[in-house]
Amino acid sequence: MLSDTAASFTITLPDTLTMRNISSVRDDLLQAIQEQDNVIVQLPADAQADLSFLQLMESARIYAGTAGKRLGLERPVEGRLLDLLKRAGFAEDMSAGDAGFWLHQGEIQ
Amino acid sequence: MSFPDPIAVFRTEAAELLEQIETGLLDLNHDLADKEQVDAVFRGLHTLKGSGAMFGFEALAAFTHHCETAFDQVRKGIVPATHDLVTAVLGATDHMRALVETPNGDYEAASEVLLAGLRAAVAAAADPSQAPATTAPAKATGYRIRFSLPVNAMANGTNPLGLLDELAELGTCRIRADKSDIPSLDMLVATDLHVRWDLELVTDKPRSDIEDVFIFVMDEMQLEIEALDGTAAAPAAAPAVAVAVAAPTPSAAPVAAAPAPVPARAPAQATPPAEPRQNEAKQAKSAENVRVPAERLDELMDRVGELVIAQSRLSQLANSSADLQLRAVSEDVERLSGELRDTMMVLRMVPVAHLFSRFRRLVHDLAIETGKKIELITEGESTEVDKSVVERLADPLVHLVRNSCDHGLETPEERIAAGKPAAGRIYLTARQQAGEVIITIRDDGRGINRERVRAKAEASGLIAPSASLSDQDLLQLIFQPGFSTAQQVTNLSGRGVGMDVVKRTIDALRGTINVASQNGEGSNISLAIPLTLAIIDGLLVRVGNGRYVIPLSAVEECLELSLDDDMRSRGRSFISLRDSLVPFIRLRDLFRTGSKPDPFQKVVVISTGSERVGLVVDQIIGDHQTVIKSMSKLHHDVDTFSGATILGDGGVALILDVGHLVTEGQQQEAQLRAAG
Repeated sequence: MLSDTAASFTITLPDTLTMRNISSVRDDLLQAIQEQDNVIVQLPADAQADLSFLQLMESARIYAGTAGKRLGLERPVEGRLLDLLKRAGFAEDMSAGDAGFWLHQGEIQ
Repeated sequence: MSFPDPIAVFRTEAAELLEQIETGLLDLNHDLADKEQVDAVFRGLHTLKGSGAMFGFEALAAFTHHCETAFDQVRKGIVPATHDLVTAVLGATDHMRALVETPNGDYEAASEVLLAGLRAAVAAAADPSQAPATTAPAKATGYRIRFSLPVNAMANGTNPLGLLDELAELGTCRIRADKSDIPSLDMLVATDLHVRWDLELVTDKPRSDIEDVFIFVMDEMQLEIEALDGTAAAPAAAPAVAVAVAAPTPSAAPVAAAPAPVPARAPAQATPPAEPRQNEAKQAKSAENVRVPAERLDELMDRVGELVIAQSRLSQLANSSADLQLRAVSEDVERLSGELRDTMMVLRMVPVAHLFSRFRRLVHDLAIETGKKIELITEGESTEVDKSVVERLADPLVHLVRNSCDHGLETPEERIAAGKPAAGRIYLTARQQAGEVIITIRDDGRGINRERVRAKAEASGLIAPSASLSDQDLLQLIFQPGFSTAQQVTNLSGRGVGMDVVKRTIDALRGTINVASQNGEGSNISLAIPLTLAIIDGLLVRVGNGRYVIPLSAVEECLELSLDDDMRSRGRSFISLRDSLVPFIRLRDLFRTGSKPDPFQKVVVISTGSERVGLVVDQIIGDHQTVIKSMSKLHHDVDTFSGATILGDGGVALILDVGHLVTEGQQQEAQLRAAG
């Protein structure tokens, strides 16, 4: 679901973010970044996600950075998503950019 | 570009995995000490669980986990494999199939019952004396593990998180994802995997436990495992030092509590250089296979069929034209369409192994149900048959195998009393013969009781009392609708429903059934089925003004029937062929053409097995690639023809049913002989 606010564009992702639907999530996210300069990703608190989601977000960060767009999470990840980040090894040795994006530590990309 | 539905892909792969698991279990049931099968079943269960969880089939993953755990105990020698355990897991595989097909169904109660059975089987198998002796706690060792999976790993159902979780369970683990290969979003195929991992693990488990985590993906991945010592794990350790101490050292000291970041891509001497190449070769090999939905093959077959018809029309036009260039092009198209047809036919051919494998489970279950000891021996599994034939053969074979188990084979007591081994044997074999595949179901049971067959047939009014029947005709009565000599109706057979289904299906496949049986020694039922149902090579002939196709695989030879010979043979309908009399049928009489015969008629000798018959035709036009079209429902009862085809000029030719004509010829011969 997409919604537009004055300064940023918020895309709300579905509560399932797994291999089952990751291709369609990728298409929606790509479209949002292509069409908007500042995209905020809203994640359901109880989202069910797998590795494909983490990879998708990293890929989206690369695309947004290259295209000169801003991409961020509405809220820092917590609960199941934070656990996923740790299990997948994405939380280890985080760069400042990673920590800013996922955990809102410092500046958001 | 469209991507296949990952759920559909998972379902297909789950079905294959379950089949592999079932085959492994059945093999294991024959030899409970077969470690290779134990490993294979474990790997299958492990993969199924991981893939199930990956694709959201949580109930499947949870249920399979219990079976996997049971087999893990077997694998580690904690519990021996037993027949009860194998049977419990076999029962569980059926449940897993249901969980794959309808993941949201209400299966809780059924799951509980099956798991209770599994637990009971494991408990019964457990022998405390077999448990590994208590050993002193092993010394913790540090390992550095680097691995990457194939790009299509996630799409194929491998869950990298599952691997990481399992590694984490082995001890204290530090996991770092290497994201440097992740492409930009516009280039990303979201189901591909672009992440690699670099881990440090401190564990008291042996190295083999780490390798076991990767057991089901080992062939397709890059994996490096290095034992670390204190030097290598120290924060300031240089990459070169890490490499120098990389060789596995069982006595290596535990790794430091907080290992330093390791170089992302340090070369590892511990990895044999040949290994990656071997893996690459395996990957290349697996990439050579493409999974194609069956209906796409059918569509392609239809297109090839239409092309063959169009090519036939082109050839006809070219032959009636003086244009040499047109003829040359026509010949090229003819050659290419012939090659395309041959390639297409090969694509449609599948080994009967897939069909045969399901009978192992059937026989296993029937043996339990009947209390008999039954061995199934299969031969010729690599024999290839058109896929549509294989699909349609499944039901008839189930009936025949059930019948052999239930009626053919005796109880162990009866067999021992008859001087036979307690275990009965059923042989399921396949072989190619000319244009046919011969599938034989043979048992070493009691054989068909001819007296009872005759009595039953007379009582049911199928034959007149004391009617004279050949042995084959008598045995063929078992395929009559409603016919059963079983004194008891069981769950398996005895209702007379089934054997007539066999006959109907084989008839529909343009096949024949041959029955042989010897009292006390067993029965042998052979099914002869055409290799393909789609396109055949045919001999195009003319009878009167009509054109007909005779399947070339059945044609033995062609002879000329001179007017004199024709006159001499009137009333006898036999020709002498190398000292043997062969009955023949005048097709112009059979088809009532009403036209005068050509002065030099031809006899086309056709055969099925050892039976031969001649067909008298007016003209042999030549060979013809025949795309078989089914007859309409209106012509369903016409036995003489098995189908129709469209000729190059747009006309229609009927395809002769060779089996039927040979039977008719033989009957005609028998009647003439009887008449003296």
